[in-house]
Amino acid sequence: MQNVLEADSIKVQFGGLVAVNNVSLSLAPGQVLGLIGPNGAGKSTLFNAITGFAPVRSGKVSFLGQDVTQQPPYIRTRNGMGRTFQTERPYEDLTVLENVLVAAFLKNPKRKDAERVALSALDKVGLLDRAHQLSSDLNLARLRRLELAKALALDPKVLFLDEIMAGLNPPALKEMIEFLRTLTATGMSIVMVEHIMEAIIQLADHVIVLASGNKIAEGTATEVINNEQVIEAYLGTD
Amino acid sequence: MSRNVLILLGLLVAGALYPLTGSAFITVGISVLLFTGWATSWNLLGGWAGQLSLGHASFVGLGAYIVAVGASQFGIAPWWSVLISMAVAGVLAAVWGKLTFGLRGPYFSLSTIAIAEIMRLVAINEGWLTGGASGVFIDSLPEPFGIDLFDKTAQYYLALLYAAITIGITLFISSRRFGYQLKAVRDNEEAAMAAGINPSVVKLKAFVLSGMLTALGGGVYGIFLSFIEPHLIFNLLLSIQIALTVIIGGRGTIWGPAVGAALLVIAGEIFRTAFAQANLLVYGVLILVVILVLPRGIVGEYVHKLVRRKYAKRA
Amino acid sequence: MFDYVSFFQNLSNGVLIGAVYALIGVGLTLVFGVMRTINFAHGDFVVLGMYFAVVFNAVFGWDPYLTLFLAIPAGFIVGALMQKYLLARVIDAKPETMMLATLGVSLVIANVLLLVFGGEPKSVNVPYAAGTFNVGEIRISVVLLFAGLATLAVIIGLYLLLNRTEVGRAIRATAENRLGAELVGINTKKIQAIVFGLGMALAVTAGVALIPLLFASPVTTGALFTLKAFVVTVLGGLGNIGAAIVGGLLLGVVEVLGASYLDSAYRDAYGLLVFVIVLLVKPEGLFGKSVKRV
Repeated sequence: MQNVLEADSIKVQFGGLVAVNNVSLSLAPGQVLGLIGPNGAGKSTLFNAITGFAPVRSGKVSFLGQDVTQQPPYIRTRNGMGRTFQTERPYEDLTVLENVLVAAFLKNPKRKDAERVALSALDKVGLLDRAHQLSSDLNLARLRRLELAKALALDPKVLFLDEIMAGLNPPALKEMIEFLRTLTATGMSIVMVEHIMEAIIQLADHVIVLASGNKIAEGTATEVINNEQVIEAYLGTD
Repeated sequence: MSRNVLILLGLLVAGALYPLTGSAFITVGISVLLFTGWATSWNLLGGWAGQLSLGHASFVGLGAYIVAVGASQFGIAPWWSVLISMAVAGVLAAVWGKLTFGLRGPYFSLSTIAIAEIMRLVAINEGWLTGGASGVFIDSLPEPFGIDLFDKTAQYYLALLYAAITIGITLFISSRRFGYQLKAVRDNEEAAMAAGINPSVVKLKAFVLSGMLTALGGGVYGIFLSFIEPHLIFNLLLSIQIALTVIIGGRGTIWGPAVGAALLVIAGEIFRTAFAQANLLVYGVLILVVILVLPRGIVGEYVHKLVRRKYAKRA
Repeated sequence: MFDYVSFFQNLSNGVLIGAVYALIGVGLTLVFGVMRTINFAHGDFVVLGMYFAVVFNAVFGWDPYLTLFLAIPAGFIVGALMQKYLLARVIDAKPETMMLATLGVSLVIANVLLLVFGGEPKSVNVPYAAGTFNVGEIRISVVLLFAGLATLAVIIGLYLLLNRTEVGRAIRATAENRLGAELVGINTKKIQAIVFGLGMALAVTAGVALIPLLFASPVTTGALFTLKAFVVTVLGGLGNIGAAIVGGLLLGVVEVLGASYLDSAYRDAYGLLVFVIVLLVKPEGLFGKSVKRV
């Protein structure tokens, strides 16, 4: 079966600083790919390059067989990429439901249909009862779930999660991991940038480790965690 | 949403009955309605798409001039001229928007000022088309259904219709896809892009719609004035008044522009009868008040507090 | 045959008027550099300077240039206070909020002036108004010359201030990087107040220099100057003082030459057209650093 995502020798450079140096990765359908590495390793930059929010200096990004390297982010979204954002980014003056509506309108031009899809997404992440609350009133764990609902309402082929576990307390963390597991059970492919190893161990089929812009290891979660270079990269930056 | 529709209908009825109470303040009523319409149109671009235009007088001028020139030089009935002016306004907005949306906020605003200024100078100098600095005088207008368009009451109802149209369109959009696209782009452009929205296209559509609706009001204004002159029409102060009306009333809200228009026009009139001039002082003072104390504008702050209170009770 | 005399006449007029435009532009750009805000009230500050001179001339019979000694410090103090108590409150909001605040200030100043002085244009008649200074066949208006000289003096003073004094260094540091300046112990709030005061003082000076030449009308003159100041500073690049000077001179020359050799009715439009073109093609100005297009 064809890979849903392929990144070939991606290089991202800002001025003189090389943030991502010739990194390649691929994602098979239904797989969960973990992207880890110490702070400043370039994982978020790579993530942004793949989703269209950072410019690619050289290399190619293929999504569902199509070359999307030059495509603006909104086209990639329309083609099936659904991403979350690391910092909480609700549309401040809108309610929880309205936040998700924005995304739901992508594939559902009519209000009634969009509302149905939005409510369904909120239900899936467990925010249905807060649908009419102002999104700026949510706590961190709920905001994360809102981000997820927004991405799901896009009816994506691949979910791109940018450190969705960050800052969650243990019960919320467990909840989120469980939820993502049910998603993957339905066949959703996921790319996740993460710092929280627990999530990676539980969810990722395949893990890529970045350090200082370079890929330093690749494999299953256990393989990668026990890799000496990886341990050094993490300890070295503490 | 239906609550707003009820409010609109209620206001329409009240507005329709107003002239029957005595025509002393009909002109003020016309001003309030015109500014409501212009402000509501501006709101589509400035309140929802988040682009601060300080040159909307260009669209007012387009509407007024095309109606006036159409009537006096070519004998075209105003309802056709108005449609023509809306088309021209749409094209102007499309071209101008395409060229300038890439500019950061303040630069975009500067460009709008420059464009309006250029139009003013063109109007002054291309006398063969616009009558030059001495302006255009509408001396005769057709009488649809026997209505005399020079009669203040008839003009009042035109203005009422105009204001209702703009608010109606705003209501229609606000609950539908386009409205949400606008709000998303204004609130958080990156998140909007991640939701599949192309900000430039959305902003452009808003600009075109805003321009067209403003020109419609300009046409009504032209009939109301019956004498059009470049300084009067392509006036930076008019652009500023429109923008500030919305900001003071509440950007991005449905009723903010109308509230702002009513407040500012009436306050301006009161000030003018007291001091005979400098009625824009009210705008200056109120915008400073809004900036310091009511950043979301009058209606904006009200709605915000209302929603918060609703959920404070629940939580 | 090409009329050289006429050309140089126009050129010199253009340069001198341009010098005053430069003064206005430098004030605006200085404020932008440090506060990252476009000051809509700048033109009205110029008008304030004009009325200041008018009042002192009417009441005491003072020559405008004499009033400069009062106008400059007064302008500085008022500007600094305005920044401290009004603008500083909104400095960290969106840039457009600051812009709207200055718009509010502009409306208040213009309309208060209107209330106090009425709408009739006012000017100051100086005894040497009609005098000219001759260089060969070229006649330069004495008033224009004084305006140009005053501008030169002020710009030199500004240069010395920015480059040879402690305060000047602090200003440059704050303009470069506000956070960095704070980290080195510079009181950026105080600097911003000082700079705004300076900007206003510069505007007021320009107003005083211009009043013998022009008429001041409270509502329209202010906006006109603000627009010209924008054209000047955007042309050269916001925040870039040297460029503002060049931009001002350029505008003066373009206006005068454009009016003489092309359609004089469109005089004001030439500057505007160039402005719009620059905005579209190179918004950072002819010399500026990138303004980060969206």
